[in-house]
Amino acid sequence: MDTSSSESVRRIGGGAGFAGDRIDPAVALAGSDAIDAVVLECLAERTLVPGLRARRQNPDAGSDPRLRRRLLPLLPAAHKTGCRIISNLGAANPAAAARQIARLADEVGAPGMRVAGVVGDDVVRHADAIAWEEPIQGTLLGAHAYLGTEGLIAAISEGADVVVTGRVADSALFAAELMPFLDGTDDAFANAVMIGHLLECSGQVTGGNFEAPGGGSLDGASYARLGYPIARVERDGSAVIHILDGAPGRVDRLTCTLQLLYEIHDPSAYITPDAIVDFSKVRIEELGNNRVRVSGARKVGRPEKLKVSGFVERPGTHADVEMSYAGTGALTRARHAAEALRIRLEYFAEDAIRIDIVGVDSVLSGASLPSNASPPEVRIHVSAFCRDEEEAQSIEDEMYTLSICGPAGGGSMRSERRPRVTVIDGLIDRSLVETTVVWG
Amino acid sequence: MRVGDIACGRSGDKASTLDLTLVAQDEASYRLLESTVTVERAQAEISRAMPGTVRRYALPDLLALKFVIDDALPGGVYASLHAGMHWQKAAAYVLLEMDVEEPKH
Repeated sequence: MDTSSSESVRRIGGGAGFAGDRIDPAVALAGSDAIDAVVLECLAERTLVPGLRARRQNPDAGSDPRLRRRLLPLLPAAHKTGCRIISNLGAANPAAAARQIARLADEVGAPGMRVAGVVGDDVVRHADAIAWEEPIQGTLLGAHAYLGTEGLIAAISEGADVVVTGRVADSALFAAELMPFLDGTDDAFANAVMIGHLLECSGQVTGGNFEAPGGGSLDGASYARLGYPIARVERDGSAVIHILDGAPGRVDRLTCTLQLLYEIHDPSAYITPDAIVDFSKVRIEELGNNRVRVSGARKVGRPEKLKVSGFVERPGTHADVEMSYAGTGALTRARHAAEALRIRLEYFAEDAIRIDIVGVDSVLSGASLPSNASPPEVRIHVSAFCRDEEEAQSIEDEMYTLSICGPAGGGSMRSERRPRVTVIDGLIDRSLVETTVVWG
Repeated sequence: MRVGDIACGRSGDKASTLDLTLVAQDEASYRLLESTVTVERAQAEISRAMPGTVRRYALPDLLALKFVIDDALPGGVYASLHAGMHWQKAAAYVLLEMDVEEPKH
C-alpha cells in the first residue's frame, strides 16, 4: 500500500499540457476527490501569437479560444469537489478570460465561484528597455515576460477558486498552489518547482510521448485513455507522482527522468522567475504500481532579470504546399518533381525555401536510418518565405503544373499559408514588471 | 546496437534552442552512453539534420545525458520551413538511431 497519503499536505493534478490538450482528463481529475487543485498549462509560443492578433482586432478577445469548451465541463466538476483551477489559458488577455469564466460559472450552475485574473506579463510598452538577443526585424506584435508565483499566490490567498493568467512560468502555476503548505525552506520551494515541471506537460510524465529502451510502449487503447498525473506533496516539497487508480499509463524512473530534463537547458541551473534550481541530484524512487517518489531539488539562486518572449511579425507570407506520388517508382518520380521545382523556383534565396520528400527526408533531413527501400507512396513538400500572396500563389501553381507536365501520377495537392512570425528572447528588469490581481 | 536499445529519449525546444535527453535503462548502459555518445559524435550526427552547436551535460545520478543545441531552430518553430509544425519533436531519434558497441562480458 502507498503510505504516503497520510503524510501528504497538498494534492495537485496536471490537467493539460498545451492549448489543444484533451478536455476529459482534467474533468476526471477535478471530479475525483483525489486532488485539491488542478493546473492546466495551455500557453506556448505559437498559441500566444493568435491571441495577440485577435486582441488587436478586439480588446475583449485574445484569451484561449478553447476556454468555453474546456471549462463548461470542468467548472461543475471542480465546484462539486472544491478543487481549485489554475491555468494560463488567459493567453493574451487574462482579465477578459476571468470575466468570461465568471459568466460561465453562473451559466453552469456553479455560482459564487471566485475567479481571479493575474495580469502584468504584457510588457510591450517597455520594448525599448528590454535587452533583446537579436535586433527586431519587422513589427513587434507583442512582448510577454514570464511571471513567477507572486501574483498567483496573491490571488490564491484572497480566496480564488479559479486563477487565470497569461504568460507565467509553467512550473510557477503549480509551485504557487503548493507554497502555503511547504515548510518555508528554499529547497522545499525548489521541489515544488520540480513537481510543477514534472506535471506541466500532462501525459508526458505518465507514458505519453514515450518509448521504452528496446521499443516497448503503451498500446493504442491506453493512449486513448491515458491517465494524467497527480502529485501528493509533503511539507519538504518531496512528492509521490501517480495516476488515478485504473487509468492506463506508465509512471516510473524513465518517464519521470525524461520529463524532469525536458526543455530545460543546464540541468544544474534551471532558471525560473522565482528561483534557479538544480535538478542534477534529484532522487527518483520507484514505489511500484505506477508510483514514484521524487525529492532532492535544490535552490541555487534567483535570476536578476525576467525572461521575455517577443513576437515579431515579418512582412510577407509563409507558403506550404504538398503533393503525392504513389505506386511503383513513386520515390524516383517525386525526386524528379523536386528537381523540376528547384529549377522553376531557383529565384528564391537558398535559406528562404525548402523542398523535401515526406516519407524520406522531410523531418530529419535524412539523418535517421538510411533506407534504400522504395516506399509505396511519398509526398513532395515545398515551403518558402514569400514576399507576398502572389509569390505564394506562384509556388502553388508551379507544384500544380507538375500534375500535367511533370512525373506521372502527381496528385492529392494540399496548400496552406500562414503569417511569418519570429520569436525572440529578451531580458527585462523586475522593477518594470508589475503583477496585479483582477476579479472576474 | 542502437542507442534506443538501451535508452529512451525525448526532444524539446525553447525559441531557437533544441534540447535532447537520453535516459539509460541501467547503470551499465549509462556508462556506455556516457563514454560513447560524446559531444563530438553527437555533433556529427546532429549536423546531418540541423544547424547549431551541441553542448552536453552528463547526469550520473539520473543515468541521463542532456544535449542542448543552440540555434538549431532559427527563428523558433513558428518560422520553420519544415513540413508541418513541430518537426523537431522527432529529433531525439537522431541520437536514438546512433550505433553503440555492446558491453564486453
